[in-house]
Amino acid sequence: MAIEIPKRLEDLPTSAPRWVGRRVERKEDAALLTGRTQFIEDVVLPGMLHCAILRSPFPHARIAKLDATDAEAQPGVVAVVTGEDALRWSQPAASAPEGWGTHCLASSLVRFVGEPVAAVAATSRYVAEDALERIVVDYDPLDPIANPFAAMEEGSPLVIEEKGTNVMMQRLFTWGAVDEAFAKAAHVFTEKFRWNRVGANPTETFGAICEWDPMSLDLTVYGSIQAASFFALGRAATFGLPSNKVNVKSQPHGGSFGGKGGTRGTDIACLLSRKAGGRPVKWIEDRMEYLTSGGSQAWDRHYEVSLAVDADAQATGLRVKLVDDLGATGEGYAAISAAKPLAAFTGPYTIPVAEYDLTLVATNKLPAFPYRGFGPPPHFFVLEQMMDIAARDLDIDPAEFRRRNFIPSDQFPYTIPSGNEYDSGSYEEVLDKALALAGYADLRAKQAEAREEGRIVGIGVASAIEPGVFDWNAYRTVGVPGIGVPEGATVSIDILGMITVRVGFSLEGQGQYTLASQLVADYFGTDIAAVRVVQLDTQSAPPSFGPGGSRLGVAITGAVLGACERIREKMSAVTAVLMQTEPDKIQLLDGKFAVVGMPGAEMSVAEVAGTMLARSDLLPPGIDPRPEATHVWTAAGRTEPDDQGRAKSYLTAAQAVHVVMVEIDRDTGVVEILKYCLADDCGTRLNPLIVQGQTEGSVAQGIGAALFEEYVYDEDAQPLTATFMDYLIPTINEIPPTEQTEVVTPSPFTPLGAKGCGEGAIHTTPAAVMCAVNDALAPLGTMAREVPAAPNRVWNLIRATQG
Amino acid sequence: MKPAPFEYLAPTTIGEAITALQEFDGEAKLLAGGQSLMPMLNMRLARPGLVVDLGRVQDLDYIRESDGHLAIGAMTTKRTLERSPLVQNRQPLLHAATVSIGHPQIRNRGTIGGSMAQADPAAEYPATAVALEATLRVIGPTGDRIVPAEDFFVTYLTTALEPGEVLTEVTVPMFEAKTGWGFSEISRRHGDFAMAGAAVTLSLDAAGCCAEPRIALFGVGPTPVRPRGAEDAVRGEQPSDLLCQNAGRQVSEEIDEPLSDVHASADYRRNLAGVMARQALSDAMARATAGRGGRA
Amino acid sequence: MTQMRPIRLTVNGVAYEAPVEPRTTLADFLRADLELTGTHLGCEHGVCGICTVLVDGQAVRSCLMLAVQADGANLMTVEGLAGPDGKLHPIQQAFVEEHGLQCGFCTPGFLIAIYELLENNPSPSEAEILDVLGGQICRCTGYQSILRAVHSAAAKLGAVRSGTAQESA
Repeated sequence: MAIEIPKRLEDLPTSAPRWVGRRVERKEDAALLTGRTQFIEDVVLPGMLHCAILRSPFPHARIAKLDATDAEAQPGVVAVVTGEDALRWSQPAASAPEGWGTHCLASSLVRFVGEPVAAVAATSRYVAEDALERIVVDYDPLDPIANPFAAMEEGSPLVIEEKGTNVMMQRLFTWGAVDEAFAKAAHVFTEKFRWNRVGANPTETFGAICEWDPMSLDLTVYGSIQAASFFALGRAATFGLPSNKVNVKSQPHGGSFGGKGGTRGTDIACLLSRKAGGRPVKWIEDRMEYLTSGGSQAWDRHYEVSLAVDADAQATGLRVKLVDDLGATGEGYAAISAAKPLAAFTGPYTIPVAEYDLTLVATNKLPAFPYRGFGPPPHFFVLEQMMDIAARDLDIDPAEFRRRNFIPSDQFPYTIPSGNEYDSGSYEEVLDKALALAGYADLRAKQAEAREEGRIVGIGVASAIEPGVFDWNAYRTVGVPGIGVPEGATVSIDILGMITVRVGFSLEGQGQYTLASQLVADYFGTDIAAVRVVQLDTQSAPPSFGPGGSRLGVAITGAVLGACERIREKMSAVTAVLMQTEPDKIQLLDGKFAVVGMPGAEMSVAEVAGTMLARSDLLPPGIDPRPEATHVWTAAGRTEPDDQGRAKSYLTAAQAVHVVMVEIDRDTGVVEILKYCLADDCGTRLNPLIVQGQTEGSVAQGIGAALFEEYVYDEDAQPLTATFMDYLIPTINEIPPTEQTEVVTPSPFTPLGAKGCGEGAIHTTPAAVMCAVNDALAPLGTMAREVPAAPNRVWNLIRATQG
Repeated sequence: MKPAPFEYLAPTTIGEAITALQEFDGEAKLLAGGQSLMPMLNMRLARPGLVVDLGRVQDLDYIRESDGHLAIGAMTTKRTLERSPLVQNRQPLLHAATVSIGHPQIRNRGTIGGSMAQADPAAEYPATAVALEATLRVIGPTGDRIVPAEDFFVTYLTTALEPGEVLTEVTVPMFEAKTGWGFSEISRRHGDFAMAGAAVTLSLDAAGCCAEPRIALFGVGPTPVRPRGAEDAVRGEQPSDLLCQNAGRQVSEEIDEPLSDVHASADYRRNLAGVMARQALSDAMARATAGRGGRA
Repeated sequence: MTQMRPIRLTVNGVAYEAPVEPRTTLADFLRADLELTGTHLGCEHGVCGICTVLVDGQAVRSCLMLAVQADGANLMTVEGLAGPDGKLHPIQQAFVEEHGLQCGFCTPGFLIAIYELLENNPSPSEAEILDVLGGQICRCTGYQSILRAVHSAAAKLGAVRSGTAQESA
């Protein structure tokens, strides 16, 4: 029977929500604060061994010889694996685009510094690292391919010989009459930009414990895993196992942000477990491994962008040419980050036509992986710089220029040229609130004063779309199949009325167990403390993807409320029988099933549940006696991409405006953020405390990306950023206080009108900071085209203007 | 990232420590606060066969006043130095350098002797010692010697310590009321190693002109750098902004081969050194002018 | 194989005695030998502060100490903060109320560093707070809520000291 999932808070069966929509403290916190939560590095299994991995010091080389005999003989070493074992027992990694994956251990050729060539399982990590030093490897270095443009040239050495090219994908998307728009535009602005590699760096690196059962030939993987079922499928494919013979038990993990990685290390630990006769093997990636060889790097990009603007200051066309250096393989699915921009290609603007010239290139650098935002952050950086370039040229205030180009609020749902549909929005209102919060006119006055004093001060006003609730069809253009991302939850009420929610994902910081509890507590009129959330492993859980693409808050709301609706239906039917009336006369409100129009004729949820489970004599034959249901939610109305990749993909479009003021020190090039204000609209806020946290956290990551974080490679594809002294994660002293305000424009398409918000401000912050930097530099006649705007770079720009 | 195996000793006297270093057949390393050595051990960049822990050696943790100087035991932690009223009041340059080092959590363990012996080009203490013309007491198999700071730092991560020798004490002058000082550094994040920095002392003579200017730069060369040309340019001149600017420019020109890394190119470092020197000189002149050698 | 050394130390009020290899870090000893896994590893080179524990009253990076150096010492780890009945320490309670944690992996290190700060300096200045917090890395929160939690914790502890604290729910 079709069920109706509540679309607004008012539709919940409660006269006033006590939990949903409120700043509810998280249930997860007590265990985390007392150190009781078991992260993967805390898990100990009987007979467990510890893995260490030997890695290539060369970006490109043949393995001439590998001898692990001495390592095998070391006391404490139980198993050693090399590329031979990987060839014998595993398949090349799945990848996007398809066919660009390699085995987890190199056998004849290494293709990036840090690529695994051998691994050891021993009684401790200390002993395992000792054993690595006894493995002898002779390499014949080959010419490294360090630059994507060189990689594209005729005669370049090839990263993967069999592919015959270093170009993983080359495609031109044309959406509308682009040539015409540019030909007749009053102004065309063109610029090039460079975005350097940055990445997730959760405080917990990847870790897994793999247990290969030699008798039943199945695999159990514990780990710090963001998308457990996806990960399980990947392992099944790698080892040629039936998909129901891999069980993944994901631990609560220390952040993920998309870039946890870990597939290679997991596969290596599986091989070791197999070689060690089925003993569990634990691999904990250390930080240097993560930075140089893990899922740590993303967005190595060269952009050329053109914006067409008509005489009325309307942007009429956008061309983006992107060369994206994905590193040695596609195993990280980083290609997706080049496809995702289609979901919000033209940002919050009415730009009617667009073109995307996309080239994905392989080089001998670390394979790129996802990072929060998954592609749009650099895209919005370039789009927002172009908007400012246009505004400056036309002598229009950048806030006003954006206002004139915003999609008006009465035009939603709005389909953008690249095919996705934005659900709702109030962009002007968000702009006004951001400007008011910032005291914009006042800031401009302060800027003018500062400029009189010879100071270099800039203000950036940037707006971006923060797409939410991803669908696989957004990535079809890079070879990822499928439509629909099911998320299931089972809600069950026990004989005493206590409620349990069973889900298939582990926590990584966004508090979805608290959210699920809030929903159930308000639905059934109980206290949040009476609700328990239990995580199931992949073999027991309903279909589940888990967090990613700003989907889980919305998806789990749909799944939980769907299950609640199904239970309500059953319990209403039971109540009707007990009350000798029809089911349509029964209403659930504030924890009671009551007969409409008969005050006093009611039963509590606990009473009905207890009756269902303990009084079979009172129930009519055939009625389902369980106060329990499972519902699997996925976004409705997603479509098959057409030949230009157009599809309804990401379900929601949150939007934000950020206003940032910076000062640049003329002598040192240091950019200091003087003020940071933002207004954002992510629809109904199911737990505003959590939303605020996501915003503050993503602003910090955005500032890191704009000003501090960069993975540096030398000309020979050697990584130069190997420790936290080199890769600079901002501390509190680098992040200014953030002033936030909000607008709430519910989504018409989602449960309770919420929009995805987990990736949040990372879409907007780098653009906003760089807009401020370039506003500061504009009077000097220069521009920062490269991210991050590190002091050395900015100083070089200023010095160049001094002749 | 786990250390390679090593033997370990925790002697209780200097003599034992020296004997242990001498008698060990292989590479031995001294462990002070561990904030520099431990990362190197964890990364297996350092692989000594023996670690001699100075943490239990008696009487290496002190700050003693004597004859216009402060004698500081090598194992005195930066935390102790930071909180010492004596250092705050009578050696404010050392205090300023101390609070620039890392964070309290690092300063709880890091020691003055460890920093000096580590001789990291970007560290605050070696340059401060050079600016103060500090002396370092070294005890070894052949006896006890005093090494001027200027001679102690030989090159990148290398000091005048011979095998078997232990740095036991650092002696710095106490400032008089008239001593001007300045300390400026610039790093990517608060608490990081500096990209460049300057420690400056000077005073004013009877005519109000700069006397005994000492500029020690860090982060720009393998060891602290004293830009003598810039010092000469400052000596005998009236304090002024222009003087500081010119001196800063001179510093930039004088630096030989600045280090280059992912955070700062050689050129940029050269520039930063000049800016830091200019700022530190300016502060020093202001303090000297105000006649207060203590904390501003 | 190097000589194992016996060490004795007290952690969270409990006395322990164990043999250790000299190269074993204090962090690994606490986590593996004493099974106190609340202290986590973030970088193992002293930058992130996630492994911070209290040694003789001082917050230190346990990845930068050898277990043998803790012989005779009195330690506190995150497991020692809450009361034996599970009642959260005021600093922990402040973190709950201010949403000062998301994934929670870095949190134990922050709690210990803040504990030392407020024990020694019940009314720290903003600069003093930022100096301590600056030595701890968080990737989730963006730090604003942690700062709010420190202010709240200072107020709560002040109330405890002056006897005006309310029992929390």
